[in-house]
Amino acid sequence: MLELYLFQILNGLGLGMIYFLIAVGLTIIFGLLNFVNFAHGAFFLLGAYICYTAVSLTGNFWLSLLLAPLLVAALAWVIERLLIQRIYHLPHMFQILVTLGIALIIQEASVMIWGPVGKSVAVPQLLRGVLVIGDFVYPYYRLFLIVFSALVGFGLWLLLERTRFGALVRAGSESTETVSLLGTNIFRLFSMTFALGAGLAGVAGVLFAPLRGAQPFVGPEILGVAFVVVVIGGMGSFSGALVGGLLVGVVQSLMTTIWPQGASLMIYGAMAVVILLRPYGLFGRA
Amino acid sequence: MSEKNPLPFAKTQSRSMLLLVVAVLVGLPLVLPSATLATEILIFAMAALACNLLLGYTGLLSFGQGIFFGAGAYCAALLMIHLQLGLFSALLGAALAGGFLAFLVGALAIRRTGIYFVMLTLAFSQMAYFLTYTLSDWTGGDNGLLNVPRPEIRIGDTVLMSLSDARYFYGFVAVLFLLIFIGARRVIASPFGSTLMAIRENETRAAAIGYDTRHFKILVFMLSGAVTGIAGALYAMLLHFVPLSNIDLAMSENILIMTIVGGTGSLFGSLLGAGSIVLLGEFLSDLWPRWLMLLGVILILVVVFMRGGLWGGFSSLFERIKGRRKPSLPVQEEQP
Amino acid sequence: MQRRTLLKASLAAASALSLPLGIRHAFASEPFTFYGLKSMSGAFASYGKFADMGSRLAVEQYPQLLGRPLNYKVIDTEGNAGKAVRKVQEAIAQDGARFFQGCTLSSSALAVAKEVDKAGGVFMTPVGADEVTGKDCNKATFRWSVPTYGAVRETLVPLIKRLPEAKRWYTITPQYVFGEALLDGTKEVLKEHGLEHVGNSYHSLQEQEFSGYLTNAIAAKPDVLVLLNFGSQSSNTLRQAVNFGIKERMKVLLVWSAGLDQFQELGSDILEGVYLGAQYWHQVDTPLNRELVKITKARYGINPTYPLAADYISTKVMLDTIAATGSFDGPTVAKAMQGLSYEGPTGTESIRAGDHQVIKDYYLLIGKPADEMSDKDDLAQVVSSGQSFAPVQDTGCVLG
Repeated sequence: MLELYLFQILNGLGLGMIYFLIAVGLTIIFGLLNFVNFAHGAFFLLGAYICYTAVSLTGNFWLSLLLAPLLVAALAWVIERLLIQRIYHLPHMFQILVTLGIALIIQEASVMIWGPVGKSVAVPQLLRGVLVIGDFVYPYYRLFLIVFSALVGFGLWLLLERTRFGALVRAGSESTETVSLLGTNIFRLFSMTFALGAGLAGVAGVLFAPLRGAQPFVGPEILGVAFVVVVIGGMGSFSGALVGGLLVGVVQSLMTTIWPQGASLMIYGAMAVVILLRPYGLFGRA
Repeated sequence: MSEKNPLPFAKTQSRSMLLLVVAVLVGLPLVLPSATLATEILIFAMAALACNLLLGYTGLLSFGQGIFFGAGAYCAALLMIHLQLGLFSALLGAALAGGFLAFLVGALAIRRTGIYFVMLTLAFSQMAYFLTYTLSDWTGGDNGLLNVPRPEIRIGDTVLMSLSDARYFYGFVAVLFLLIFIGARRVIASPFGSTLMAIRENETRAAAIGYDTRHFKILVFMLSGAVTGIAGALYAMLLHFVPLSNIDLAMSENILIMTIVGGTGSLFGSLLGAGSIVLLGEFLSDLWPRWLMLLGVILILVVVFMRGGLWGGFSSLFERIKGRRKPSLPVQEEQP
Repeated sequence: MQRRTLLKASLAAASALSLPLGIRHAFASEPFTFYGLKSMSGAFASYGKFADMGSRLAVEQYPQLLGRPLNYKVIDTEGNAGKAVRKVQEAIAQDGARFFQGCTLSSSALAVAKEVDKAGGVFMTPVGADEVTGKDCNKATFRWSVPTYGAVRETLVPLIKRLPEAKRWYTITPQYVFGEALLDGTKEVLKEHGLEHVGNSYHSLQEQEFSGYLTNAIAAKPDVLVLLNFGSQSSNTLRQAVNFGIKERMKVLLVWSAGLDQFQELGSDILEGVYLGAQYWHQVDTPLNRELVKITKARYGINPTYPLAADYISTKVMLDTIAATGSFDGPTVAKAMQGLSYEGPTGTESIRAGDHQVIKDYYLLIGKPADEMSDKDDLAQVVSSGQSFAPVQDTGCVLG
């Protein structure tokens, strides 16, 4: 029995890395742009569907892993230019309303394009099979997800902490004027950040497709998970998203053995407790 | 109304506003294809109005309105089914249930501001949903709570009026709506209301003047919860049924959308918002199964072009016709 | 003065609309409207689309009904029980609607059944909730799909015979009434056969991540994994189970599959070797099913799915009975449907008088490997079929 708990913790850590990937785009957009993006789940959904189309056309999952996030990011960039840019200065209420509208449009458009019945994406040939550890098994594909999420996380960290782009974006989130004075086009910077966040949701959508398929109404659920992770970790905090993701993953996985029907209750309860006790999350900035 | 209320039609026109509401209440069932549809609009208008008290007048964006709506529906239904309570006792029970839960949610949620406040109400909303679903012995779980009666209006043992006819039930709901509307206007016009708007405009200043802003926020939460609870109870009576979806996040979201689309900061806007969203679904869903896409477009258009909602749009149009200067719309920056 | 006349006029109009049905039917040329409750928009659109196709096929066979033009009206339930009930009330009160068929959600169907019963109409539905022909049954309401009792028996019992070596069984169950009913049935069957139920994992209605539950299942080392969830939850459990290499370690049975549309979504990669319980399968060789496949292909270019077949036959039975009785009176038609036998997609089907449950076959299928498929929909083949129904006195149904 102890072994089972141990394994559930391991499984939860794996799940947590995936949750991190789902949430990190949301936290970047919030942290750097102070923008609440309720369309995050929709970008995830789009990533999954584009992955499906790319795989059924080319038969190559890896190609779609490259292509789908780029397409999602491109779409997000266009939406940002046309619409989001006009509403950065508005209260969160209006940002929520607009992105909710975008989410609805993407969701319904997906039903029109791909039909109301979901689609499946096969696990790439290379990653089929499972790792056997005593009485337990763990799919290679999930192992790959953990490693890949970690790499994406590391890459993002480098991008934000070690490059000029990252420095500018971080400076821009503190003071728009300073950066403008430096002669940088702050709006282009914002567009790129928004596209980056949405593209990350697309990456998560692609990677999730072999586990969940592509389904048109998955958006709100993904958005919920992303918000829980981000809030627990601290909105806008990069390491917070990681810790929040791992925490939610482990709690969820352990609860499947202890009290399954209470899993969701626990996770949202944890979110409420964290906000009440540590207002800016475990790692957030005040 | 307070001078801070940025929308036109202030004091001088308050009487004509009331007439307008009465005209709408009388006109709705005549214009619409059915009294049940009109009833649904009024019920959601009531919920939107309650949401508006929080959002429009106090600046609190609550994703928890579904909790109070569902609590009112379940509470009234259970009181009528198990204790055979009558109409008014059931409604009172719903108001108390909604108000009490709003007290709990409010007291905790207002400890935080901005997006953290929103996320707290969202978390409570999800928890309420899972609790309701877990307590299926009482709530019927996913199947919903069936066989909800719609009691007659009676005093003692004398039956005054049966509400089983949809038109009579509409009449009853319309009278309740009018009373709540008038009550809410009184509240807003009172010193209490002015304080709320002072909190909305600048909480720090309101606190500095010496108001206990928390106290005020909790009170308006309870008021909003009680009204939303009544709306939920009426919905249960309308449908003879409480679906689990009454308490889910989508319900909270819907109420919010109605409030914002109608126009925050105007009680009449809530009626407009509920009416347009319900009717949009009613007519478009018959024509085009993907009508939610259009709802998405409308949400965006409202924010980009008509931030005061439908009411704001109408009144600035009206102002323009009257040749006055266009008032600036209320766009207050949110504190982080 | 003017306003008063307007009021009067509209009151008169309103009362004319709510006249008793019989009087309005005096005008024989007036079209008769049949109502389809379909989740066209919202989260259950995948179901509503096929269900609507099915009803349309049945309606198209009756250009006229008893000398009146037949009109088919879709009520979009929006996947929202509250909306469904309110729209049904409206149709009953305003348009004198009495004949309804459909519903995707159990909660909608249960509440709609109450409204239709009060109005003296007829309602036939394929939803999964046993209460429809159980404790919430009524004289107006009929149900086409086999209850959980039969679904469990007609999948587990043949599978037990087929796999004599399988002693250890594990279940994954969604925790609500429907899942509990399937779980109770499964436990009972296992007990009867002296087999060991080595464990169960409950999950909530919102769950889509099953790695934790699959880990529990693998740790219990069962011979057969029985999935008692349905819809997108069962799709995701199966996907993730295959990913976990479960198929190499044990047999998998999905007791309540959604049929062809779900199989198309999953594909033979996932389905191969998986046992699947089904209400309907388009390859079944019965006279009516051959006909149904033919007209569905001609009209829509696809094979019939479960929602399409269920709503086709339910609509057809209702229309046929109206034609046979020569009456648009709800209670008369409902009475005639009691005990009725007819040719259905699963063979000769009959409506049990005691609870209005349709007595029909339930299927156990097995997923085919890709290289044995003769066409893209040949995803599974029938292993066995049969009928198991709890006696009326055990269903809790008392028809008023």
